[in-house]
Amino acid sequence: MINFGVREVAMSTVPDRPGWAYVPDTGLNASVTALQPTSRKRHRTELVGDNSAKQDAKLLRDLAALDRESHRDVSIPVPVRNRDNAGRVSHGKVTPAVRKILQSQKTFGNYLGDFEAHVAAGTQPVSLPPAPNAPRLAPIPASATPFKRSHKKKDPNAPPKEPLRKSSMPVLKAESSHLPIQNSVGEEKLADALDPPPHPRDKDPLLRSWIPSIPTQEEIMKLLTAPPLSYNKAKGNWTEDDRRKPVRQFCEVCGYWGRVKCMRCGGRVCALECLNTHKEECFTRYGA
Amino acid sequence: MAPASHRTKSSGPAPPSKTLVLDNGAYTIKAGFSSIGGATEPKIIPNSIARDRDRRTYTGSDLEKCKDFGEINFRRPMEKGYIVNWEAQKEIWEHEFFENKSELYCEPLETGLILTEAPNALPQLQTHCDQIVFEEFGFASYLRCPGPTLNAYNDIPHHFFKALAREATQPLLPAEIVVIIDSGYSHTTITPLLQGRPIQAAIRRLDIGGKLMTNYLTRLISLRQYDMRNDIYLVNEIKEATVYMSKDFKADMEVTWKGPKGDRRPLYETGGGIGKDYVLPDYHNTTKGYVRDHDPTNAGKLKKMQTGKSAEAAEDILTLRNERYAVPELLLNPTDIGLRQSGIAQLVMESLSCIPFGLWPGFLANILVVGGNANIEGFLWRLNDEIRALAPTECFVRVGRPEHPIISTWNGGAELAKDVDRLASMSITKQEYEEFGAGWVQRKFNGQ
Repeated sequence: MINFGVREVAMSTVPDRPGWAYVPDTGLNASVTALQPTSRKRHRTELVGDNSAKQDAKLLRDLAALDRESHRDVSIPVPVRNRDNAGRVSHGKVTPAVRKILQSQKTFGNYLGDFEAHVAAGTQPVSLPPAPNAPRLAPIPASATPFKRSHKKKDPNAPPKEPLRKSSMPVLKAESSHLPIQNSVGEEKLADALDPPPHPRDKDPLLRSWIPSIPTQEEIMKLLTAPPLSYNKAKGNWTEDDRRKPVRQFCEVCGYWGRVKCMRCGGRVCALECLNTHKEECFTRYGA
Repeated sequence: MAPASHRTKSSGPAPPSKTLVLDNGAYTIKAGFSSIGGATEPKIIPNSIARDRDRRTYTGSDLEKCKDFGEINFRRPMEKGYIVNWEAQKEIWEHEFFENKSELYCEPLETGLILTEAPNALPQLQTHCDQIVFEEFGFASYLRCPGPTLNAYNDIPHHFFKALAREATQPLLPAEIVVIIDSGYSHTTITPLLQGRPIQAAIRRLDIGGKLMTNYLTRLISLRQYDMRNDIYLVNEIKEATVYMSKDFKADMEVTWKGPKGDRRPLYETGGGIGKDYVLPDYHNTTKGYVRDHDPTNAGKLKKMQTGKSAEAAEDILTLRNERYAVPELLLNPTDIGLRQSGIAQLVMESLSCIPFGLWPGFLANILVVGGNANIEGFLWRLNDEIRALAPTECFVRVGRPEHPIISTWNGGAELAKDVDRLASMSITKQEYEEFGAGWVQRKFNGQ
């Protein structure tokens, strides 16, 4: 982010206006940053291997191109129909909210930017329209709870016990879900049948098997009622383990291992033959 | 407060007699009706408005009338797996469901709707969706849920782990513990489900899906053979016909290496069991290409032209070698194209790290892969192998896939719709929407 020493101070004065907002500039356009949400500057220092900034830019460009629908911009208008209701089901008149949605030309990047800006500013991410009728607060918890309770009904016996018998008979476990009533009885029987006869060395610490403790009912309910993550938070990380592994490089010409680096552009090729092919293109692109 | 809600429910209108189950994917819509009596077969509809080179447009399922896919362009209402452009989406829905002559015609006022969305959607887009469903179409009842969760209503032990089938008299219960890997057109998501409900904090997404893989294959072919950048549709067909997940990446790489200059490997010429020829359609005599084993004596048009011979008689051939396994390999090694994310196997472990250790054995033993990419040959084997390597030794790892991975989510939704009471407790009615508004709907579907 080039900010010429100017620091952005308060987000609190930004009006909560839908449609546009000040967004922290992460250096590239939103569709690219959605894919790789880091700034270019950080890239220069920490990127995969020893790439230069120029190569990183190329990498990001390539990734953005892979994410596109087609390599050209095409605009296909929705076919025009005759609006005389012939063959078209009438859904009554269009409400203002619906008209706004239908006419919106915003892209996913726009929506994501709006959302992130709202989160950064600490405001309600969506300005929810009020209910068509007068909104009442009281019924909300009332009607929201049965939704959960419908699941709770079968919880008390099912989840804490099931995973215990995990690897030994996973099929049975999954199957038992269809027999909720007989669960408790059936489980005891199964446990009896599967328990091996006692052995004098059962108490030997070396032979003791360890089963992880099953989370309590409260813990499970907490897991299930947690709110969804945001779009960017749900993105899978590049884990520490994977960072330590060297990144595989491939020949840009034939796809074999990229063992040789082009001195001019840093692209990888496999051997002399492919390097020559690569050079033709590389030199004409930049001018020899 | 419970009696109050009970009263509202009982005084409300009877649940609609049939439910439209709509698995609205970015590439195809899977749609069909389900009711207590049973479900129809789902119809797979391209979720796009297409325009061919003669500037004819094809909305949704009209695409099957198209004969010439050369340079065809698509407009898709969904971006990154979420419905963004409602103008196009409404057009396609209307064409498929609300026109008198359409095959899946229904009257929304008398129909319930189960609509899937990708997990971790933006609240703004969810609200748009709710508004359109009720204010524009006016469905009688409506359930919006993350697509992977519906898979839990399939008879997973039977279809996927070959256990006894559920008897028809038994009540429908969602699978207790399962990880759904949904690998579709836009992305791949990993969703652990307990009792058919998602553990939201553990959902992870890999930004690689069918689209990116097709684009990658397009790039490889365009660099090495023909420029296919205007024929993405054809490349997608090539991809579906030829790619496979390598069991031993390094060994396959050696087989498909041409060798240094002056020392051509004979294995490269013959293809070594990996090389395949794809015969391209010319859209005059043939509209569909096909695959066959690579035959070095049967040179294609490109080669003939290079050697200066007449190219008239020859057919157009693309020879695919390392492209066949390098493309799906991205799912497990995204860094191959410089994408800074871990592969699916690592992400499964990352997802589990948000879950108490006591539940790991159950999740690891029940991993189900759905979505179009589950059809890639060898994918399950390799995924099983990679997760096995990362999981604790004591845990049993089992990866499976339903018989038809593409419609698995739809099937789950159809199962759910057969259980009217359960569906009614999860969905909302038009009346409730009008009374409580969009914010309430949002909270209810988030399970809060």
